[in-house]
Amino acid sequence: MRSGVLERELDKELRFHLDAETAANLRSGLPPAEAHLAAIRRLGGVAQIQEECRDMRRTDYFENFVRDLRYAARNLARIPGFAVVIVLTLALSIGANSAIFSVIDGVLLRPLPYPQADRIVRIFFSSRQYPKFALNPLDVRDFRERNRSFASLAAITRNDRQLSGEGRPERLSGFSVTAGYFRVLGISPARGRDFTTGDELPGRGKQAILSDRVWRSRFGADPNVVGRKIVLDAEPFTIVGVMPPGVKHPGNEYHAVTDGETVDVWTPFTYSADLTSRGSHYMEGIARLKDGVTLAQAQADMDMQVSQLGREHPDNIKGWQPLLVPLYQELVGPSRRLLLVLLGAVGLVLLIACANAANLLLARATARQREIAVRAALGAARSRLVRQMLAESLLISLLGGCLGIGIAVEGVRVLASLLPPDFPRAHDIHVNFAVLAFTFGIALVTGLLFGLAPALQAARTDLQQTLRESSRSSTASGRRLWLRNALVIGEVSLACVLLIGAGLMLRSFVNMLRSEPGFRPQHVLTASVALPAAKYKTKASLMEFYDRLNAQLKSLPGMRSAGSGSDLPWTGWDDNLGGFTIQGKDPATNDEHNARYHVASEDFFQTLGIPLVRGRWFTLHDNKDAPQVIIINRVAARLYWGSDDAAVGGRITFNDHPKESDWITVVGVVGDVKDHPNRATAEPGIWWPLLQEPFGFPTMSVAVRGEESAARVAEQVRSTVSSLDPDLAVADIRLMDEIAGASFSTPRFALFLVMLFAGLAVTLAAIGIYGVISYSVSQRTHEFGLRMALGAKPWHVVRQVMSQGVNLAFVGIAIGVASAMALGRVLSSLLYEVSARDPVTFTAVAVLALLVAAAACYVPARRATAADPMTALRSE
Amino acid sequence: MSKPSDLIQGTLDLLILRTLSLEPMHGWAVARRIQQVSEEVLQVTQGALYPALHRLEQQGWLRAEWRDTETGREAKFYALTKAGRVQLEKELAQWERLSHAVGLVIRTV
Repeated sequence: MRSGVLERELDKELRFHLDAETAANLRSGLPPAEAHLAAIRRLGGVAQIQEECRDMRRTDYFENFVRDLRYAARNLARIPGFAVVIVLTLALSIGANSAIFSVIDGVLLRPLPYPQADRIVRIFFSSRQYPKFALNPLDVRDFRERNRSFASLAAITRNDRQLSGEGRPERLSGFSVTAGYFRVLGISPARGRDFTTGDELPGRGKQAILSDRVWRSRFGADPNVVGRKIVLDAEPFTIVGVMPPGVKHPGNEYHAVTDGETVDVWTPFTYSADLTSRGSHYMEGIARLKDGVTLAQAQADMDMQVSQLGREHPDNIKGWQPLLVPLYQELVGPSRRLLLVLLGAVGLVLLIACANAANLLLARATARQREIAVRAALGAARSRLVRQMLAESLLISLLGGCLGIGIAVEGVRVLASLLPPDFPRAHDIHVNFAVLAFTFGIALVTGLLFGLAPALQAARTDLQQTLRESSRSSTASGRRLWLRNALVIGEVSLACVLLIGAGLMLRSFVNMLRSEPGFRPQHVLTASVALPAAKYKTKASLMEFYDRLNAQLKSLPGMRSAGSGSDLPWTGWDDNLGGFTIQGKDPATNDEHNARYHVASEDFFQTLGIPLVRGRWFTLHDNKDAPQVIIINRVAARLYWGSDDAAVGGRITFNDHPKESDWITVVGVVGDVKDHPNRATAEPGIWWPLLQEPFGFPTMSVAVRGEESAARVAEQVRSTVSSLDPDLAVADIRLMDEIAGASFSTPRFALFLVMLFAGLAVTLAAIGIYGVISYSVSQRTHEFGLRMALGAKPWHVVRQVMSQGVNLAFVGIAIGVASAMALGRVLSSLLYEVSARDPVTFTAVAVLALLVAAAACYVPARRATAADPMTALRSE
Repeated sequence: MSKPSDLIQGTLDLLILRTLSLEPMHGWAVARRIQQVSEEVLQVTQGALYPALHRLEQQGWLRAEWRDTETGREAKFYALTKAGRVQLEKELAQWERLSHAVGLVIRTV
């Protein structure tokens, strides 16, 4: 080996020098023994010269580095406990942080999958009562005709389509879109053409654009599919286009479809001749800003247009303001706070992990102070010592980093699978390597900094003093101990903040689970059936179908009850109805009387387990020929009549000049079902009996409570529907339990993550305390041995050691609790019926943290007493 | 014993290069020659000499080879390379400038 030759040559060269010097001394007349000694004296420290000569050979750097690494590996292998703990600390922090950061990056930070997505805005109507409201199609047309600010303006409305005649009927999630919708998104069909305004004319709109997924799964990726006739909702449609793969729905509010690749068919919105009312609002506006037009300019322009429209149509537009919201904000806004809280938690864990790594490295440096001093005294160059310590830190950081990458990759996979299914942009989550590099860098810097700092310090210290001191010292030197104590206090306080956050979220989650849902989801199976308008042309035919379906389902053996309704609890139903008049109340307050409207068959409430509070249920006699009746919920009863009792028998009307037959009587009051489990209260609601409902809903939810297995009941529902109409698809077959469970998925996910972080933080903090105390114990073995020899009881030693750690924990907990108090505001919007300063949580966390700290101290404290006093005394 | 830091920074290189410009010699001889020529004023310690020799060799200004001395022992002889000569010229010029400047200051003030 080259380095071996060099070493030998250097040796030989110096020996020659020594001999030459000795010879010269002899020549000058010194006696032989003295001549040699004088030569040695002059030569000085051979090891030092050798070391410096090696240093001069820059080519050796790499070789030295490899040797240093090998030396570091050997050193670490001698202390596997330390090595494993610190590598795991770094790996966990790198891995967990990168994984979470990747999720946040995918959801929050990455641009939307449309060209120049920042130019896309959503258009809403807005009023005092309804901050975001859908548009009317005629308003959309006017906006488009008078448009000055947008390169393209369009609107969409949910319009699922039933595909039949191509094998088993299937309900495709779909939208009716005005021409220009795809231009707003900046996407063109991969085959065929986009919609034009011509397609919006009555009788012309029987065209469809398919998603890539449906084109492949239902049409075998047929290249000649454009122009083909298909049957949607029992009507012939022509396929005019196929979208490229990966076209993502930008999300919508009203009858919402999750964003992502969730839409399979688009059809043109038709401006039919009978569309004359500006009263109903169901179109969701979306537009692309013209180049050079700012959001504020567009908003100002829309304000002007709406006030102009308001003058033209004073009855309908009055009170509405336009509202432009950037698409990004609209999509990500609601999840933003949750993700930012998680990001904060990630940051805290990273800080704790760094503090922990620093602490362990400092402790190790303290323990090695003497070794370093000895080696320096023996002639090791300082640069060399520093390089060796550096190699050790580097090795630790690299090991931690590599393990961390593994954790990050696996972690992102697990996290993505844990995400609630309707989480925005969940499909955009991948390991982000820039993020990984960033956290890796932080871990590396921490390792190097806290590995190097003590090395530099050790290399600079006075050797003699260190040697003298450490042979008899009983505590670590003051300054470094102070730094390590500060790190432990910091760790404990950060862990407390995380624990308190996790505790609050846990309490609010438990509250949410415990809160009365207002219905009994157990053993209820639900499904959705849509009746195509082409076949079911009249309201009467729709009602008749559902009525027969309910009757047939009820008559099945083992079926306890069955009903159908416009919507199921907790599925995001948001049909609002404004402007009804309550008999005996001043009609001037017209605007204030609002409720969500629903439709229910006579057994619907019983099937879902929604209790009747007052009055009666619907019966089969509440039909077209009978006087109009409704059932309301308790919120509506109290809001508009003052009490449940007063509401029954109360009458409302939607007609401004009502005849006697226009009045609708409240016959029953049912219990409240919150629209979403994490809202504190329910919205006022009105239910029409199925046989009197004025809307003619083509799509209804069916709920059945059966005795047999879910699969069997599902099959019964399917075969019953198909016996009534073989072309109908049964969609969304789910247990009510699943729907209820899914509503909890976002808070459950957040809770899971925060608990994970808190657990990690507590573990790291415990390791930190353990590390400090156990090093302090090992440094003081001598002292403890002495005390025990002088008659101290083991209990005294344990108490002394533990009080050291517990005191640190006390300070840390105090700081942590104070910080959590200050930070509580950030969390409060994520909490459900828990104060952000909940005393129970705070106390529990403080006690838990103290117990963990005590446990972490106990092990080294026991060790301090376990040593035989004689051995302890000899241990130096 | 004069420490290397007593020599003006960089001067040791100059002394070594200048000494070796006469003929190749081994480390001990270099030290000895510098000591003799400077009339025992400049004493180069081995602790400074050998690292400097190795560094200069590393920089390509010196070339080393093992050769027998007149006493028949093998020793490592250093010789100036072409690059070393150029470097020597540079360092000499540098030194002249510096000592001239220092002389001016000392005499004027």
